[in-house]
Amino acid sequence: MIRNLKEVKDNNFDITRDAEEVRNLSFKDHICIGCGICESTCPVEAITLNEIAIGARHRISNDVYFSGHEKIAQNFHEDFDVQRVTIDEGKCVLCGMCSGLCPVDALELTIDGVPIKEIEAYPHYNAFSEIDDDECIYCKRCEVACPRDAIVIERVLPNRADLVTGEIEVDDEECIYCGICQELCPAEAIVVDNETGKESIVIDKDKCVYCLVCKKSCPTTAIKAICRACNYGEYDLDPAKAAVTGNSIIDSELCVYCGWCEGVCPTDAAKVKKPFEGSIEIDDDKCQACGACVDICKCNALAFPVSSGPGSRMEHVTAYPDYCVSCKACAKACPNGAITVKRTAVDHTPTKSATWADALEAIKD
Amino acid sequence: MPKHIASGLKYLAAVKLKDAGKSHQEIADELGVDRSTISHYLNGRNLSWNSIDVARTIIDLSPRDFLRMAEALFDEPEKSRKIVNICRERDFEVSIKDSCIGCGLCVNACSMKAIKLESLTAHADSIQCCGCQLCEDECPTNSIKILEI
Repeated sequence: MIRNLKEVKDNNFDITRDAEEVRNLSFKDHICIGCGICESTCPVEAITLNEIAIGARHRISNDVYFSGHEKIAQNFHEDFDVQRVTIDEGKCVLCGMCSGLCPVDALELTIDGVPIKEIEAYPHYNAFSEIDDDECIYCKRCEVACPRDAIVIERVLPNRADLVTGEIEVDDEECIYCGICQELCPAEAIVVDNETGKESIVIDKDKCVYCLVCKKSCPTTAIKAICRACNYGEYDLDPAKAAVTGNSIIDSELCVYCGWCEGVCPTDAAKVKKPFEGSIEIDDDKCQACGACVDICKCNALAFPVSSGPGSRMEHVTAYPDYCVSCKACAKACPNGAITVKRTAVDHTPTKSATWADALEAIKD
Repeated sequence: MPKHIASGLKYLAAVKLKDAGKSHQEIADELGVDRSTISHYLNGRNLSWNSIDVARTIIDLSPRDFLRMAEALFDEPEKSRKIVNICRERDFEVSIKDSCIGCGLCVNACSMKAIKLESLTAHADSIQCCGCQLCEDECPTNSIKILEI
């Protein structure tokens, strides 16, 4: 008989079972959003969502008269260094339900080396994030807004010389190598060597923007220049050379489908489809402004309103439903039960397994 | 000694296959031994009656014990599977409930290779089942029931 041996590789959880098929489950804490869906769906109760520094949370919530959010956040981070879930390798049967239902890829089951998200029989969330390179203008607003630093925009700028064209030349007969033009040049395009006997002046035409400051400041009218943009209009520009090009990369492992990139995108390049639909509400009467939710939210969907000055007390937290993925991590983290998150729809590919279908149904409210 | 008992089991298997109308050559192919060995077995040569008695006792054990003994006597899982399948006296019916989560533990547990995973659910081939119930023990959701028929 093939023995059913499991091997745990490290403390961050990486468990392998070699038998008919090699199953491996790994957990990445830095990707986990703390939603707890794995805990509630695990059929053998092998997963526990760790209470993240609940003592610290209570301490702070009872002492809410802080002058700024930063201090609260600081206090939290000291106590926050706890792995979000604990998996009991003795109980785990490597069924993969946690991996299949994880809205990010923090838990990943592979069968013979293939992640189950690539195996059609397993249901998958219909969530995606993408940036259309045809629409993207490489403004980097999404890169800045992404709460997970999952977006990298690599842009290639046109040459400055292609955007501003003109002509410039120096009359060596007239130039006295005084260096005034070099000092004034805003583009640092002029280098003057005024050492006796070695005098020279060099103008870098790739840097020159034909602003004519050198020409106007030259005490001897040695510099002759003309700006084509000013004198001829813009027809001289080659649009292909003037365009900003580049490419965009979304790290699908880190992306939580929060929608910030789509929200800030000035064109229609960024598109996000969330795995869940739902609502979030904060009961202002219960909220003690402790910041636990702000800290745990990976989507930046919760924030303190801008403080109205030193010493002012922040009454409560504000939610931004547009960027909420209804993961419920905040509701679980709130020590006062002030947050209500409802998941109304779960969009996933079909499954023939009744148990898996039930599990997907169960994560709805 | 274990080799003699293994031969005893092979003899009993050969007799069963003979009763089922198979030729010596077919039996030899099925059991992975020479045709002449089968002829010797069926003519009562090269075997002690004592080892056949022990083999009979082993077959009469509970299905799980029979399977384990067979696995201990034959070094290759393929051979013990053949012997168990041919010699077992009882048939079983396996039913798998919808509560199956598709973890595959039963697939690993089944020495008879009677269970396969399909669409995240285990499917069992009752004809192959030896009734050892190891899969039942392994199943984390108690979704497998094995009944003798």
